[in-house]
Amino acid sequence: MAEKGEKGFSLSNGGKSSLKSPASFKGKDDSTAKSKRGRKVQFDAEEAKISMSSKSGGKVDKPVARGDWGKGGKGDKIANGGEVPVVKAPPPLELKIEHELPENAKCLMDCEAAEILQGIQEQMVILSEDPAIKIPISFDRGLQYAKRGSHYISPHPVRRVLDALKLHNVSDGEVSMIANVGPESVEEVFALVPSLKGKKSKLREPLKDALDQLAKLKHST
Amino acid sequence: MFFHIVLERNMQLHPRHFGRDLRDKLVAKLMKDVEGTCSGRHGFVVAITGIESVGKGLIRDGTGFVTFPVKYQCVVFRPFKGEISEAVVTMVNKMGFFAEAGPVQIFVSNHLIPDDMEFQSGDIPNYTTSDGSVKIQKDSEVRLKIIGTRVDATEIFCIGTIKDDFLGVISDPGATS
Repeated sequence: MAEKGEKGFSLSNGGKSSLKSPASFKGKDDSTAKSKRGRKVQFDAEEAKISMSSKSGGKVDKPVARGDWGKGGKGDKIANGGEVPVVKAPPPLELKIEHELPENAKCLMDCEAAEILQGIQEQMVILSEDPAIKIPISFDRGLQYAKRGSHYISPHPVRRVLDALKLHNVSDGEVSMIANVGPESVEEVFALVPSLKGKKSKLREPLKDALDQLAKLKHST
Repeated sequence: MFFHIVLERNMQLHPRHFGRDLRDKLVAKLMKDVEGTCSGRHGFVVAITGIESVGKGLIRDGTGFVTFPVKYQCVVFRPFKGEISEAVVTMVNKMGFFAEAGPVQIFVSNHLIPDDMEFQSGDIPNYTTSDGSVKIQKDSEVRLKIIGTRVDATEIFCIGTIKDDFLGVISDPGATS
């Protein structure tokens, strides 16, 4: 058990250190430049803290931070408190789909995907009689997953209910995730979709309404 | 998560396929080449749902093959960091457990399993709470959060956690009501 723990620690430390490395590298860069830049270097350390705290934005944050370094001297007063950025708690991992997929990508709920793939499967039954045509394994697994994850009787009313949340700046990915998870309470939504926490006060009522309507659309179990 | 997306691909066709069934043969070849494949950007191409357009063919010098640019709609499955997924456990060992969410494999390390669950070896290895009320074993359904992804040529592999609020076992195959 101890061995397992140690190995786990080395792995997790390795993981944690790799997460921390952007900040530490920044620190190293700053130290070499400290003697040359003075004021700006201290501001860099604070920017490194800020960029670490908004780490979920990933690589995008770094160039923005660097751009800001040259602009202000606000770092003087703030940065004196710490030379090495210390991350107390990593921010919750947020879902960011829009940056990684092309704009024409439409996020599907599991129930919608199940409906589409079911229709294709009915056609494939005819095609599968031809021995030259092989149905890929990922199709079967995808269909099974979509069916299992589909909590609702029909996808269209679900889409209508959740599209109303888009008026409150909930993204496509977040809407699909809410539908797929099938949460029972608003607190569950905020816990599982941390990107919505910033709009908690505005979203509480619309989410509650949406969840009440979704509960009526679920399969009876 | 599933997406409906338009992709483009250059399809090469041998002259023996030319004729009145050219388009059908092009579509069949596209399905054979693309369905079931995996890429880092789009994930698994689960199924092609339609052909948007087939461009003009260009004859390749020296070979006689013709290249057609084809735009097609397809359903893809791609996991994302931060996504909540319901997966089925496929294997349990002392390092953690493996689960499947569609075509994607997910590993949950024992460090990302709640501390009150301990590994029990035996015929059916499992993770169980001290009071025995919650058990994770093969074929259990668990809700997990994906915290990392890795793509290779043929598959996507993820790391997940069940150590957060509202995550964990959904249904246990061994549960008796």
